[in-house]
Amino acid sequence: MTQKLPKFAVLQLSGCAGCEVSLLNATDWLHQYELVYMPLVISADNVPDVDILLVSGGVQTSEDLYKLSHAIHHANEVVAVGTCAISGGVTNLGNRDDVRDLFLSQAERHHLPRMLPKCRPIDDFITVSRYLPGCPPTPQLFMQLLTPDPDYTQKKTVCQECGRKKLRDMKPNHFFGAQQGSPDPDICLINQGYPCVGSSTRAGCDALCTKPGHPCVGCRGPSDAFIEKDAEHWFSSIQKVFESMTNVPSQEIQEVMRSPQLSLFLFQFADYDQKARPIRPKEKIL
Amino acid sequence: MTMTRLTFPVSRIEGHAQVVIEVENGQVISSHFQATEMRGFKHFVEGTPAEQMPVITPRICGVCSTAHQVASVKALEDIFEVTPPPLARRIRELLLLGQLIQNQATSLFIFTMPDRLDVPSIFHSLESSNISVQGICDNIARCSLRVRKAGTDLITLAGGQFIHPIKTMVGGVTSGIQREKAEIMLAELETIIPVVRILFNHYWQLSTSLKERIGTWGDDEPTYYITSTPAINPVYDTDTIRVLSPDGQVIDTFAASQFRDHLVFNDNDYSYAGQTSFNGKIMRANSLARINMTQSMGTEIADSYMARIERAFGLPAHPILLYDLCRGVELINAIERAIEILKEPLDGTDTHVGYTPKDGEGYGLVEAPRGPLIHHYAVEGGKITSAEFVIPTVHNILAIERALTVAAKRYIKDGQINMELEKAVGRVVRAFDPCIACATQ
Repeated sequence: MTQKLPKFAVLQLSGCAGCEVSLLNATDWLHQYELVYMPLVISADNVPDVDILLVSGGVQTSEDLYKLSHAIHHANEVVAVGTCAISGGVTNLGNRDDVRDLFLSQAERHHLPRMLPKCRPIDDFITVSRYLPGCPPTPQLFMQLLTPDPDYTQKKTVCQECGRKKLRDMKPNHFFGAQQGSPDPDICLINQGYPCVGSSTRAGCDALCTKPGHPCVGCRGPSDAFIEKDAEHWFSSIQKVFESMTNVPSQEIQEVMRSPQLSLFLFQFADYDQKARPIRPKEKIL
Repeated sequence: MTMTRLTFPVSRIEGHAQVVIEVENGQVISSHFQATEMRGFKHFVEGTPAEQMPVITPRICGVCSTAHQVASVKALEDIFEVTPPPLARRIRELLLLGQLIQNQATSLFIFTMPDRLDVPSIFHSLESSNISVQGICDNIARCSLRVRKAGTDLITLAGGQFIHPIKTMVGGVTSGIQREKAEIMLAELETIIPVVRILFNHYWQLSTSLKERIGTWGDDEPTYYITSTPAINPVYDTDTIRVLSPDGQVIDTFAASQFRDHLVFNDNDYSYAGQTSFNGKIMRANSLARINMTQSMGTEIADSYMARIERAFGLPAHPILLYDLCRGVELINAIERAIEILKEPLDGTDTHVGYTPKDGEGYGLVEAPRGPLIHHYAVEGGKITSAEFVIPTVHNILAIERALTVAAKRYIKDGQINMELEKAVGRVVRAFDPCIACATQ
């Protein structure tokens, strides 16, 4: 090979490897980049000097923090990949004070990396130049990062990608469980009583959950309209949508939205402990 | 007295783990397989609305998300006393076959093929590769990724998303599969069969030429084996677990709800994963266990490869590297089986039945690529009060450690360490294809 290819590395912190698995489905970079570090598929001890460092997973243990701190000195650019690295992801549930106490008291092992007080998004510790959202990010988004197509566009919200019809006169009195019933394939899931947050969730997934009838759980994070604002703006937008499209009592809406175990909280808020959500400029988000 | 601790980080597996071998006065005194990350889902799902579990639990692991989603839905169906219609069960089976294709292709060609080629990764084999299939792929990396992608395409078709799928729901599946989409998938699977055969034959030949090295052939003692697949024509949406004795007799059969009477879990202070035994005895799960407990794969090409294994090694067989060859047999069988199912009508509307959520306790069992996986939930007031995840990788940890000890004793003699040990450690661990994200709940 005569041509010198740009290099990239993938550092996996505490996560599920879903982001890496998704990257393996985006293979058109094979002749445009040299992948030099990715423990899932390559035997290599440390992150060598690279042009782009992709980081997936949250910062959960002392080892995660150590690896992250070392790796960034070898990279020209750091990209946060996937919901865990960006905002905590599903493991946010383990940040609840009672659960964290349990982790720290029962789950700790003396000869292993120690658990940090909370699992954190990576930009709590380092500067990130771009964000690749999704749980996981789609292979197309990985390609857009590595080999940008100038004509690439995407819709703004999952709602716009979904295409289900919103009806003015169909207002449910209560929310269903996410899996209940047989939703009509053409009508908006909120009209049918499902707490779907696609109205303000960032597009780019082609509405793959809502089209077959599963409410959006917000895994890709807020759309451009909310990304630079604090979490309250996002919450109140969703609340307004639920209030205007349903007759669900406001207490029930509150419960659905504010319960840490319900979907919205689940994917987006590492700041369950009330720490302010960091503002991410929309230009940095793919 | 001198004490040495040898630490080997393990790559090309799912998640973070290392092997630590302790040597005292030139003698190997212990070999530990340490999971160095902690996921802890069983702790933090407490209080979750039960119906959220099929959304949350796939995130235990991006590699095994399909198995977790189906096990989760089955546990809830057990609690709500709902039976999915036959069409839904066929589509779930297709989904699990997609996962098996993806997983076995990844383990075989991306995780362990580099050990056979003596390169750091499959991407480092681009120059030396002599594999190509005309019009389809032109080197080992591309051919391997092509096979793997067929598995992920099948998961997408049957599950909606190839990681963290969403289409399996309590009571069935959200929708059927349109005829034209089934035909496209069929064509893709038929296209990759020759690719798989060429890759696997190459892999087989490279593997058997590794003779005389540890982590290869004839290196460890017989053991117990565990699977939930049936003896004839494997399926992966399962309901009964079987155990085989080292001499080849099925000596135990039980339902998921009875697992505590048969399997014993122990925690330890050197790993976040713990270990499971068959009432105190070392057991093995995953591909070799299934093949040892299968009389017929029920498809033509897979059965011919299985006959090859039986001729060469007999069955039950115990060499660790047979795990990898068994994965190849299963990969081909899963493709052949998926083709059969895709020829059936799958576009019916009877895809799910209604249900009424209720409280109670339930179990969901599937045969994941790494072995029998159980989700066990207790639900009160619609919320999870306790959750247990019985993880296949954890069934294998005692067997991994025993095999590592055999390797360590082979390569550490009179205080001298043969650096072949490092490669042997990699081969041994990867043969079991452990998944650390799953194992640390």
